[in-house]
Amino acid sequence: MRVEFKIEGGLAYFPGLSKPRVIDSADLPAAEADRLHRLVDAAGIFEQPAGGRALPKGAADYRQYTITVEDGRRRRTIRLADPIANPDLEALVEYLRTRTAPGDEPASKDE
Amino acid sequence: MCHQTTHRHSIFCILPPHILQQIAINGDAQERAAAVHTLAADQTFRSLRTELLLAGAPAPSPSVLLAAEGEKHRTIYDARHQQMLPGVVVRTEGAQPTQDLATNEAYDGLGATFDFYWEIYQRNSIDDQGLPLNATVHFGRNYDNAFWNGDRMVFGDGDGRLFNRFTISLDVIGHELTHGVTQDEAQLTYSNQPGALNESISDVFGSLIKQLTLNQTADQADWLIGAGLLAQGVNGVALRSMKAPGTAYDDPVLGKDPQPAHMRDFERTFEDNGGVHINSGIPNHAFYLAAVKIGGFAWEKAGRIWYDTLRDTHVRPSTGFRSFARLTLINAGRLFGNGSAEQQAVREAWHEVGVAVPAIVPATKSKTR
Repeated sequence: MRVEFKIEGGLAYFPGLSKPRVIDSADLPAAEADRLHRLVDAAGIFEQPAGGRALPKGAADYRQYTITVEDGRRRRTIRLADPIANPDLEALVEYLRTRTAPGDEPASKDE
Repeated sequence: MCHQTTHRHSIFCILPPHILQQIAINGDAQERAAAVHTLAADQTFRSLRTELLLAGAPAPSPSVLLAAEGEKHRTIYDARHQQMLPGVVVRTEGAQPTQDLATNEAYDGLGATFDFYWEIYQRNSIDDQGLPLNATVHFGRNYDNAFWNGDRMVFGDGDGRLFNRFTISLDVIGHELTHGVTQDEAQLTYSNQPGALNESISDVFGSLIKQLTLNQTADQADWLIGAGLLAQGVNGVALRSMKAPGTAYDDPVLGKDPQPAHMRDFERTFEDNGGVHINSGIPNHAFYLAAVKIGGFAWEKAGRIWYDTLRDTHVRPSTGFRSFARLTLINAGRLFGNGSAEQQAVREAWHEVGVAVPAIVPATKSKTR
């Protein structure tokens, strides 16, 4: 399973934080790969409508997250904006954000 | 006691704010929840005032039923590291500081922003009708951001590695609330040039709020947005610089501050809603230049020109840099005279950032909302 993750928006634009990031479960230790699969399943990525919701009216400086999941022949891209009310989606975004943060060593345990 | 509804007759059973606040402190759990919700979200003060005005009633007295002019109604909520809004109430208007730093900083920052708009521009809260000011702190986990959701401000704690807590910076608080002002007045679309103007207006007034609090003239101000937000070890001083766009940070992780100071470096991109936080550097720099050229306290003249322009009915959701610049010249002429030093300062400022403005502006009046 290959996941592309991109964060956009926020209070300022930081070039270093805005690049797309990729996580491939084939490159992860078995337990990590399993965790990624479980988070994606729980978030129901392939059941979400493709694309994104309408942006909140009058809102500003919120972040948007673009997640593309490729699993075998299935591929789905979703976009989310702050706040992420769905706790399963929030858990997935949090995982992707922390595991792919630039400048980090790969984490070996939960924070 | 009436719970908040949208039924117009709920107006006649509204309790005044000071009684609601007593219930919020002293009632049982259910009463407290209801009182606080009413205080925080009550739109009926606004609709009552509107209805009275439409019916041709005399101006409402600062009476029992209406929020008095210039009166703050702040409520701070704690999201407890989740992303569900609004969170739980942790501090209401007039309450003593709590043990939580972010709560108190948000409370004070909302107050400073309200006081700025009221004292300097006689603007009664974000909507000029006494809108209650709400903020949520401790949003999300290590959330490296703050935002305006259309109704309230939302603050993260930062991750401690790249960013400190987002309530640490008064100009950031002012920046967020000013999005509400812009939403109320001009509704500048949050993308491309109108979005960069929207962003710039938030930086301008965010900075002015800090300058007023520190009693700084244009020369004394640092013109930095979010100074103190970057964690120790990050190579940078702020999120943005209005005085020197592009110099706020240059860090191995964050990258280099991408802001332009001139139209020749305008960034055409699909990133960041068309570069709204990037190209805001250009109108930011124009404001800085105008303020420094005029001298003195920047909120008095340059800020007044910008504020009146924001309220100018000719500013539309799609207004771009050139139209906005032209309107600042018109408003400068209206306020200080065509050919005045103030108008000339504004003209030179836009010229220096490469935004073309007409040589002559009409002497006609512009209308504010």
